[in-house]
Amino acid sequence: MMKSIAARLCLAAFAVGLATGPIQAQEYKIGYITDLSGPLAGSYTPTWQGFELYMKALNDRGGLNGRQIKISLDDDGLRADRAVAAAKKQVERDEVLGIFGLSLSSTIGPVLGEMRKAGVPVASTFSAILDALPPAKPMYYSTGVTFEVAGEAIAVLSQRIAPKGKVVGVTFDSVGGRAALRHNKQMAEKLGYTWDEIVFPVRTADFMPFAQSAAALKPDIVVGHYGAEQNLGFVTALRAAGYTGPYVIAAYGASEATVKQAAQQSGSGANLYIVSRFAPVTDAVPGTKAIKDAAAKYGLADVNSMHVTGWMLGAFAAEALNKCGASCTRELLDKALQSIKIDTQGLTGGPIETKPDDHYGTTYWRLYRWETDKLTGVGDWHAQSALTFPTQ
Amino acid sequence: MELLVSILVLGATHALLAAGIVIVYKASRIVNFAHGELAIVGAYVFYSAGLITQGQSLLLTIAATAAISALFGVAIYVALMRRLVGQPTFVAAMVTIGLAIILKAAIVVVWQSKSVGINLTRQTLYSFPGGGRLTLVDVITVTCCIAFFTALFAFFNYTRLGRQFRGAAENPLLASQRQVNVNLILALAWATAVFSASLAGVLFGSRSMLSPQSTIIGLSGLTAALVGGLDSLRGAVIGGMLVAAATYITARLIDPALSEAVPFAILLIVMTWRPWGIYGTPEELNRV
Amino acid sequence: MAMFSGSPYLRVSYAETNRILPEPYQRVLVGAVAVAALVLPAVGNAYLIYLLNLTFLAIIGSVGLNLLTGYCGQVSLGHASFLAIGAFVTAILANRYGAPVWQALPAACLVGAGVGFVVGLPALRFRGIYLAITTLAMHYAIIFILTTYQANFGSSATAGISVPAPALGPYEINSGRAWYYTLLLVSFGVVLFSLNLSRGYIGRAWVAIRDRDIAAASVGIPVARFKLLAFVCSAALAALAGSLGAYFTGVVTVEAYTLELAIIYLAMIIVGGMGSVAGAVLGAIFMTLLPFGIERAFEAVPHAWRLGTTSYGLQEAATGVAIIFFLLFEPKGLIEIYRRIAEYFERWPFRYRELQPAERR
Repeated sequence: MMKSIAARLCLAAFAVGLATGPIQAQEYKIGYITDLSGPLAGSYTPTWQGFELYMKALNDRGGLNGRQIKISLDDDGLRADRAVAAAKKQVERDEVLGIFGLSLSSTIGPVLGEMRKAGVPVASTFSAILDALPPAKPMYYSTGVTFEVAGEAIAVLSQRIAPKGKVVGVTFDSVGGRAALRHNKQMAEKLGYTWDEIVFPVRTADFMPFAQSAAALKPDIVVGHYGAEQNLGFVTALRAAGYTGPYVIAAYGASEATVKQAAQQSGSGANLYIVSRFAPVTDAVPGTKAIKDAAAKYGLADVNSMHVTGWMLGAFAAEALNKCGASCTRELLDKALQSIKIDTQGLTGGPIETKPDDHYGTTYWRLYRWETDKLTGVGDWHAQSALTFPTQ
Repeated sequence: MELLVSILVLGATHALLAAGIVIVYKASRIVNFAHGELAIVGAYVFYSAGLITQGQSLLLTIAATAAISALFGVAIYVALMRRLVGQPTFVAAMVTIGLAIILKAAIVVVWQSKSVGINLTRQTLYSFPGGGRLTLVDVITVTCCIAFFTALFAFFNYTRLGRQFRGAAENPLLASQRQVNVNLILALAWATAVFSASLAGVLFGSRSMLSPQSTIIGLSGLTAALVGGLDSLRGAVIGGMLVAAATYITARLIDPALSEAVPFAILLIVMTWRPWGIYGTPEELNRV
Repeated sequence: MAMFSGSPYLRVSYAETNRILPEPYQRVLVGAVAVAALVLPAVGNAYLIYLLNLTFLAIIGSVGLNLLTGYCGQVSLGHASFLAIGAFVTAILANRYGAPVWQALPAACLVGAGVGFVVGLPALRFRGIYLAITTLAMHYAIIFILTTYQANFGSSATAGISVPAPALGPYEINSGRAWYYTLLLVSFGVVLFSLNLSRGYIGRAWVAIRDRDIAAASVGIPVARFKLLAFVCSAALAALAGSLGAYFTGVVTVEAYTLELAIIYLAMIIVGGMGSVAGAVLGAIFMTLLPFGIERAFEAVPHAWRLGTTSYGLQEAATGVAIIFFLLFEPKGLIEIYRRIAEYFERWPFRYRELQPAERR
């Protein structure tokens, strides 16, 4: 009798063991924090959508190493304290391997501080901070836009619009804007331009006086270093002030949709340029086909270069997780992120590559011009490998 | 020349905003901190109404926005301000701050923080030799401002209701004893204030773009009202022009980055010299 | 144990009259809260501890503002700039000059006090809304200066100025738990300090100034001196909160100190109850945890019902709704709710108090 009970117990245990099966196929858990409904949601939400699109398409193809990728999404409303709280929650409650996305550079610093303590790697998309540039500081990577690098690249690309003359740089009074202007100025003066600049308050709602000041300087090129919505307001005001010359949008969050809206709002799309790290979806390269197919499949209308930005971060994250392998931990992920090389399939001018001391890599920038209803490239991609001018 | 025109147009917008704050203050001694948000929400409502009518009927859009704004003003009075009778004015001011926060969040929730522009018309009327342009929108802005102030002036001085308004503003208790419906007066004040806010917001949005951050124009309106005197409509116009002129001149000729601080500097100067504003009635300043 | 000592008139010594917690039930309540607070890190998860750390920082700031606006009646919209000053002074001293925490922290408080003195000078001339606008102007001026400073600070300026973890001797305050006990201790000290001020001559003078400063001057209170003292104390406490916040976050950016932050602190003391230290504490807890509570509640709502919005807009609206709700329906704040309940039990089974209570805190 005892023997049979013991036998039945053993059988039961075995059955229970079978029912739960082998250890469940684990997921790769990652976190994504960005501004989804705060002041700059218009720029950051498409970035998230692009990232999500890539991950959805990847999961449909079977995921990585047989595992699905699970994203914990949080909204930081562009506030550093909310970003840090969300990051802590994701690390402790959701047990993520790495944090992706992030928003404005002022939120990245605090999050990075906490995540370095917790040993969680962070990779940001548009809005990157200098920690990723060589000599790279630990645990931070970026596939995005740093103000300083963008400033220099734009100066170089301005030569394709007008080789000589006066460049007026405009920004709002923020740390990032001033940094961008500083590097734009230094590179422009090195290339032989004369430089002037206009800095207006962050919370400006009416751009007329500043646009008129800019027009009064009689520039040959005007470059705007701010987000999408300021571009809209400034271009309208600039055209109303009578300046019809070239205006270059620095793409921190602006996309072809911004340019289109600016053309509509100001009444004329002539002489509108944009310098962007990633291609608009109207470029006929394999990468845009992939993203457009994914967008069509998941019902996302109107993708633009901001979605491409997020898509590229998705590819970056996926490659890192793939290299990390089946038993991925945060340390292994951090290691994997230090030697990434992905083929961007034409979405930017070359591969995105990281090294142990350079978490940013060579970046490629292209000048586009608005023609009637889409952006056309002016010349080819320009490679910017490092900062020519030192940061202060 | 172009500078003068720009100052005139900007000053007209500020004057309209200041007028809304002054009307509410005249009637109930409450400083409305939510005026900027009311203006921008009104502009967004105009934008959405325009989307619904698909840009076909401007008149319908205007009428709808005006009606919604006026009704919203009445609602604010009935639901919030009427319950604060007898409380210190600091309480009412904080309630308007709370309202401002809710309205700003409403833009985020309802319109998903989208940046939009209002396209009333893009017609240029005249090009200045220096390079600037005078657009139809500029003319409309100034015309609306003049029309609004004229209407208010006529209302306060030549209609019975206007006189009752002034009586209720000075002494509500005595006015109510003389069969003046103080509730109606206050509701009317709020309705007019919100309507003027929407008007200012729409005019602003057609020259620039709208976003949740644009609500900062309320601060310029408040500054203009304080400079001119919180209970003086004449002061609203003068204050608006003064603040606009100072902002513009600083932005154009001195240093653009300081142009945000200039209205406050003017305010500090005016308040040190004459705390109740240029045209305000001297009062005990024990307001909030 | 008898929770009530009977009538509040049965006091037999001055010591008994002047107790902070005169009734036994109050001592039991506070004791229970203290025990819970001390034990919590052992049982709570790291996220909860983090939220409580944020709450303690808020308590320090709101108690400071309560001294100024609640007791002395000076409306100030410049609180965020005082926090910013404290944070920046600490960051500069710690980052650039390598100053240890026991130098940087008091220095930040001193600088904050100095700035508070300057900001308080207009209070001698203006009142009410005009004072609020003046402090607002000062706020913008200070933030403008700090933005320019941060922009020229050096590499990684966009990421902010980094602050190393504070070290007291060989002990570095690095973990959530260490911060919890440190901040608990500091906020306890701040609350005690504030209670001391409010129960003494200074506090009574402030209340007199708040109610009618002309009358206060006529009974011999040096109004100007006390108004400035209120600004100085409030700014020093705010600088303390900002300084600790800088150490806690590890990085200081000027974008974090907005006008909205100043309004949230005002909301804290309004919601909690103006003119009451306990109210300031309650208000700080409420306003800090409210957005997280909404976020949690929002997560429970099924996806289809969310209508495409995230909880962020609702969290923003919640601050405004809380302000309006409390001003309309409970102007004396959360602490009044507590008092009503406490009074109900104190006089039960009687319906009314026999005489007015001696002094309510």
